[in-house]
Amino acid sequence: MCLFTVISLPGGASATQIHAEPEGLYSHQLGHGFFVVSMGVLVYWLRGRRLIRHQGWRYLQYSAILFVLWNVDAVLVHYLENRDDLFMEFSERTVHAFLQPYPGREWITVLFYVGKMDHLLCVPAIFFLYLALRQMIRSPHRFSPQGEDEP
Amino acid sequence: MTLPILPIFVIDLLGSALMIFFAGACVRLSYGLYVQDRENVLWVYLLMVSHALAVFAVSRGVGHIAKQLLLLGGYRDIWNGLRPYSGSLNTISFCVVGAVTLFFERIWKVYQQILRDRHALQEAHENQVSLNKRLEDLVSERTAELARSEQKFRRIFEASLDMMAVVGSDGTVLDMNPAGREMLGIDGHNAQWGAERVSFGTFFARPEEWEQLKERLQRECHVVDAEIELVALDGREISALLSAASYCDVLEKTEIFHFVVKDISQRKAMQQQLLQADKLASIGQLAAGVAHEINNPLGIILGYTQLLIREEPEGTERREDLKTIEKHTRTCKTIVEDLLSFARRSHTKKEPASVRDIIDEVLSVVRHNLELRRIEVVTHFDPQLPALVVDKDKLRQVFMNLIMNAQQAIGKDGRITIRTVFDDDRKHVRVSVSDTGTGIEPKHLPRIFDPFFTTKSTGEGTGLGLSVSYGIVKDHGGEILVESEPGKGSVFTVLLPVTAEPGDSGGRDD
Repeated sequence: MCLFTVISLPGGASATQIHAEPEGLYSHQLGHGFFVVSMGVLVYWLRGRRLIRHQGWRYLQYSAILFVLWNVDAVLVHYLENRDDLFMEFSERTVHAFLQPYPGREWITVLFYVGKMDHLLCVPAIFFLYLALRQMIRSPHRFSPQGEDEP
Repeated sequence: MTLPILPIFVIDLLGSALMIFFAGACVRLSYGLYVQDRENVLWVYLLMVSHALAVFAVSRGVGHIAKQLLLLGGYRDIWNGLRPYSGSLNTISFCVVGAVTLFFERIWKVYQQILRDRHALQEAHENQVSLNKRLEDLVSERTAELARSEQKFRRIFEASLDMMAVVGSDGTVLDMNPAGREMLGIDGHNAQWGAERVSFGTFFARPEEWEQLKERLQRECHVVDAEIELVALDGREISALLSAASYCDVLEKTEIFHFVVKDISQRKAMQQQLLQADKLASIGQLAAGVAHEINNPLGIILGYTQLLIREEPEGTERREDLKTIEKHTRTCKTIVEDLLSFARRSHTKKEPASVRDIIDEVLSVVRHNLELRRIEVVTHFDPQLPALVVDKDKLRQVFMNLIMNAQQAIGKDGRITIRTVFDDDRKHVRVSVSDTGTGIEPKHLPRIFDPFFTTKSTGEGTGLGLSVSYGIVKDHGGEILVESEPGKGSVFTVLLPVTAEPGDSGGRDD
C-alpha cells in the first residue's frame, strides 16, 4: 500500500506527454540519452566487429541507427513540448484540433509538428529489428573465434 | 499557419499498434533463434533485447492508444491517472533496452571466449583423434611387421632341417621344430610341450653329457659345435653337432636355452666308410706289393716242382712229397691271385652281360648244395634290368662268395633272397643278397672286407672272399655295402654302374 502511494505521487510523468515535474522529465530525457548512447555503442561494435557483413546484423545496425534518430527526435519533442511560447492549440481533444504558431515561431512549430510523428522513426526501427531477426533465423550465422565471421 | 493534429493522431495510433505487433514478432523470432541454439549467448542477448523492447513497445503503444482514445472520449481524468505509470514504465523499459544493449560487447567477448574454447577443444579433439588414428596406424603397422617377422622366423624355425629347440633351465622342452621332433622320433607330440614336460636331457645317450652341457651353458652362455650322442624315442642312435646359447627371460625370471642340433650320423657313417676305404686301399696296396713279389718266386717254385714231378716215377715217396709241394704252392698262388684281385691288379675282361644270367649260373651251381641244407632261394629280378659291361667270371665269383657266405651264415633251414633293382635315376643296378642267418656282430662290421679277416674256424675260409669281392666290385666302379643285425641276418648290396662301353681292364698288374 505504501509502495502504491509512493508510486502514485509523481502524477506528471509521461513519455511523449507533458512532463510537468522537472525530475520526471529529466529522468525521461536522460533515459533517452542513455538509449542513444547504448544504440550508438551497439552500432560501433557491430561495425568494429565487422558483423555488418552479414545481412541480419546489418539490419540490426539500421534498427539501432533508427532508434538513435528516434531518441534524438523524442528528446527534441519533449523539450519543445514543454515550452509555452511556440504555438496555441485549438479544438483540443477533437479530430479537428490544430496548432497555431505564435508569430516568429513558425519553423520551430513545424519542427515540433514533424517531430511529433516519431512513429515514422521508431516503427521502421523495430521493423528492421524484425528483419534482422528473421534473416538470422533464416540463414544461421557462423562465427569464428577471432571475430572473423563467415556469411 | 495552422497545423492539423489529425495526422499526428493517426500516425500515433497506427504506429503504436505496429510497434506492439513488430515487438511481438521480434520476441517470437528471437525465441526461435534461441531454441535453435540454446548455448549461443548472442541469441540469449537478442532474446533479452526483444523482450525489453516488447515491454517498451506495449507500454508505450498501449499508453499512446489509451491516451488518444481517452482524451478523445473526454476521459481526461482517467488518463491523468494512468499517465505517470505509462510514462515511468516507458522510461524504465527503454533504459533496460539500453542497459542490455550495452552488454553486447561483454556478451560478444564471452561468446568469443566460448568459441575460442570450443575451437581449442575441437582442435584438441581433432588432434587426439588424429593422434589416435596415427597410433592405431602405427600399432597396425608394427603388428603387421611383427607378424611378418614372426612369420619369417617361424618359417625358418619350421623349415629348418636341423633341430631347433627352446629348453628351460630345468631341461623341459618348451618348443621344438618339426625337424627336431622327427630327429628324436617324437613327431606328433607337439601339442603342449610345457604341459607334457618332455625333458631334453632324456634324449642324451650319456646323461652326464647333458649335465656338463647345462653347466657349460650356465657358465659360458654358449656352446659351439659340441659333438653329442642322442637316442631317439625309437632307440635310434644319433650323432649330432650341437650349438646352444642361453639367455635370461626377464619377464619370466628364468633362464632359457636355445639349441640348434645337426644330425651328423650320415656324415659320420660316410667318414667311417671313407676310413674303411682308405684302410682297404692301404691294405690292398700292401697286399699287392707283397703278392707281386711272392707271385714270381711261387711261379718258379711251382714250375720246378712240376718238372721234378715229371721226372719222378709214379708211386715213389719223393713224387708224393713233390705233389704236396705243388698242392701248397698252388694254394699259395690262389691266395696271391686273390690278393691281386682284392688290390684290383688282376686282369679283367669286361663285356656286356646280363646280371640275371650270371646270378642264375651261380645259383645252378649252388642250388643242389642249398637244397641239401633246406635253404630256400627267392629271387626278384627287375624286368627292366639292362645289360652291364662286366667281367662275367669275376662277377660270378662275387655272387658266389656272397651266396656261399649266406649259406654258411644260415647253416640249415633258412632263406636267401636275391633282388635286383634298376635305378634309372642314378644309373646303377642294385643287387642285394639277404639271408636269414646269424648276422654279423656290429664290432666285426668295420673289418669284414679286410683281407684274411674271418669269423669262421680255421680251415673253413681264408678270409679273402669278401676282400676279393670288394676288389672286384670296386674294379667295376661299384660299391658293396652291408647291413646286418645279429640273429636276424645280413644284407649285402652290390651297386654296379650301368655303362655302355665294353672293354678290357688290364688292372694295374704288370
